[in-house]
Amino acid sequence: MGRYTIRRLLQLIPVLLGTTFLINYMVWQLPGDPFAGRCGQRPCPDSYVSAMRSQFGLDQPILVQYWQFLKNMLTGNLGVDFNQVPVATQLGDAWPITIRLALLAVAIEAVIGISAGVLSGLKRGGFIDNVVTISTLFLLSLPVFVTGFLLQWLLGVQFQVITPTVSDEAPIMELIVPAFVLASLNMAFTARLTRTSIVENRRSDYVRTAIAKGLTNRRVVGVHLLRNSLIPVLTFLGTEVGSLMSGAIITEGIFNIHGIGGLLYRAITGQDYTIVVPIASLLVLVYLVSNLLVDLLYGVLDPRIRYE
Amino acid sequence: MVEVLSEPAGRGSYSGALLEVEDLHVEFHTRQGVAKAVNGVTYSVNPGETLAVLGESGSGKSVTAQTIMGILDMPPGRIAGGQIRFRGVDILKLPEDQRRRIRGEGIAMVFQDALSALNPVFPVGWQIAEMFRIHRGSSRSDAKKKAVELMDRVRIPGARDRVNDFPHQFSGGMRQRIMIAMAIALDPEILIADEPTTALDVTVQAQIMGLLAELQRDSNMGLILITHDLGVVADVADKIAVMYGGRIVETAPVHDLYANPAHPYSKGLLESIPRVDLKGQELYAIKGMPPNLLDMPSGCAFHPRCPYRREDCATAVPPLYPISGSRGSACHYWREVVDGSR
Ligand SMILES: Nc1ncnc2c1ncn2[C@@H]1O[C@H](COP(=O)(O)OP(=O)(O)OP(=O)(O)O)[C@@H](O)[C@H]1O
Ligand code: SF4
Ligand SMILES: [Mg+2]
Repeated sequence: MGRYTIRRLLQLIPVLLGTTFLINYMVWQLPGDPFAGRCGQRPCPDSYVSAMRSQFGLDQPILVQYWQFLKNMLTGNLGVDFNQVPVATQLGDAWPITIRLALLAVAIEAVIGISAGVLSGLKRGGFIDNVVTISTLFLLSLPVFVTGFLLQWLLGVQFQVITPTVSDEAPIMELIVPAFVLASLNMAFTARLTRTSIVENRRSDYVRTAIAKGLTNRRVVGVHLLRNSLIPVLTFLGTEVGSLMSGAIITEGIFNIHGIGGLLYRAITGQDYTIVVPIASLLVLVYLVSNLLVDLLYGVLDPRIRYE
Repeated sequence: MVEVLSEPAGRGSYSGALLEVEDLHVEFHTRQGVAKAVNGVTYSVNPGETLAVLGESGSGKSVTAQTIMGILDMPPGRIAGGQIRFRGVDILKLPEDQRRRIRGEGIAMVFQDALSALNPVFPVGWQIAEMFRIHRGSSRSDAKKKAVELMDRVRIPGARDRVNDFPHQFSGGMRQRIMIAMAIALDPEILIADEPTTALDVTVQAQIMGLLAELQRDSNMGLILITHDLGVVADVADKIAVMYGGRIVETAPVHDLYANPAHPYSKGLLESIPRVDLKGQELYAIKGMPPNLLDMPSGCAFHPRCPYRREDCATAVPPLYPISGSRGSACHYWREVVDGSR
């Protein structure tokens, strides 16, 4: 497994190079001059534009720019944005908030999704199963921003049990509802996946053996059935961590959370690629690493998987 | 014997047969209707005795065993009647908690396909050790030591090094040995083996049967051996129950049945002598199709296929006529069959 891990890590390098190059290239290709609109109503003077272009290397060929980007990333020197504010500070403020939000969302997905799936899978066609089927369908069919605005209005404005927007430090308590919104789709999917998996494994021979061994029902379900049924569910949860981070952009927008989503949103509208590029690259990295971890986890969860 | 285990309360205090299945009825409620899989099965097993249960596919052998074990899928299954007495107590009436204690301790089971019957994600030693941890409250290390002993006892080479291996890392024969080790872990009084060798090579089959016979001799347990293989039966069984359409059509001491079957169906089975190169096929050599459980033939269920059939066979259900001693045949004309006319 060690060799496998090393090979997978080495494979990350070309993927990272390719994706980050595309990100840099995309930014370069975006229509409109990023500096033209930075001087209020009047167009910016040519001297300002050319000074900025040379400060940020926009007058260089793309490959030179990309080389510079790689050097900066590897040395941890992220420079300043177009307003001369250090990028590292802005990212440093925003990442922890988004990570907290994403982790909370994963926890909600796992706990609620798995419990609902197990309960409905064990009593197929029962009351709980119907409730779960209906509510997951509900969540799956609603676009995330609708769920978000709905909960914000309902809980934040009508009943006033939460503050409609999250304060700057984004404490955990205030993040619960946004995390729920962020988690909603995956949570519904997790519940369905768990249910299917439980139903499938329930009638399997090894569960029958476990009963024949004279184990308690709790142990049959809680150890033998669950351990097998959760393999696809946990890998799903892991694979989705990356896209959850990207999904945070919408949720952070709705609840005015100062995470990378909000930062990215503002940077894209302001065409400030000094922020867009590192965030997009980090999202790629998170996605790749979480996928690698999932593949390794899969081998731990299912001993039949062989790495070669 | 490796060790002498303390006798659970009640062991040996009952004078009848150790396990008695009486007039058992099991049906499955499916979309197509009610499938009567078991229609009044009666058999019994004593300590040290081997009962072979024979019959073609779908005759209800496994369903009967699953009902004894308490692992029937309910629903769709339903126990429509009858008793299963273990040491004189009808276990079908016991509350689930007491029933559970009998599994593994009193009655244990070995399944046909050990690869799917063992849990794929736990080491085999862990799975054996679980018996001691749950039923006996043994510590992890004690239980594991016992698991190694058991793996030795069923002759898994290098048991100590292999306890932490997973089921898929063993060959089919070794996996079945592990299944057996798990089943005999708590020294049960009854072992049900449901086609324990069907999935294995011929040479391995013989080894596994030899192992079962040896374990049974050592521990004096009663063995219910469900099989298609008439060749195996002759060597190891004491008595035979032949099933057809969810009924016992003939029961007899093994040699009596081989020498002189008293039911046309048993006779048909014996005449289609098992051949190694036609494994699994031998039971289909009798002309015609197995009965449709959703719509059983009237009278004797075998009558559409029976060469001895007379008119009343289609109307009168034959009871299990006693022949002599423990012999019985569910055929109105068993005398003719025994006499060998036709
Ligand atoms: N879970 C179930 N649901 C519906 N029908 C079932 C179920 N289990 C068994 N049956 C039916 O009960 C009948 C008897 O099955 P059983 O498994 O006892 O046959 P068997 O004698 O063991 O055959 P084989 O030699 O193929 O193992 C079959 O016709 C089968 O279709
Ligand atoms: S009762 Fe009739 S049909 Fe049934 S086995 Fe006997 S002779 Fe054949
Ligand atoms: Mg069977």
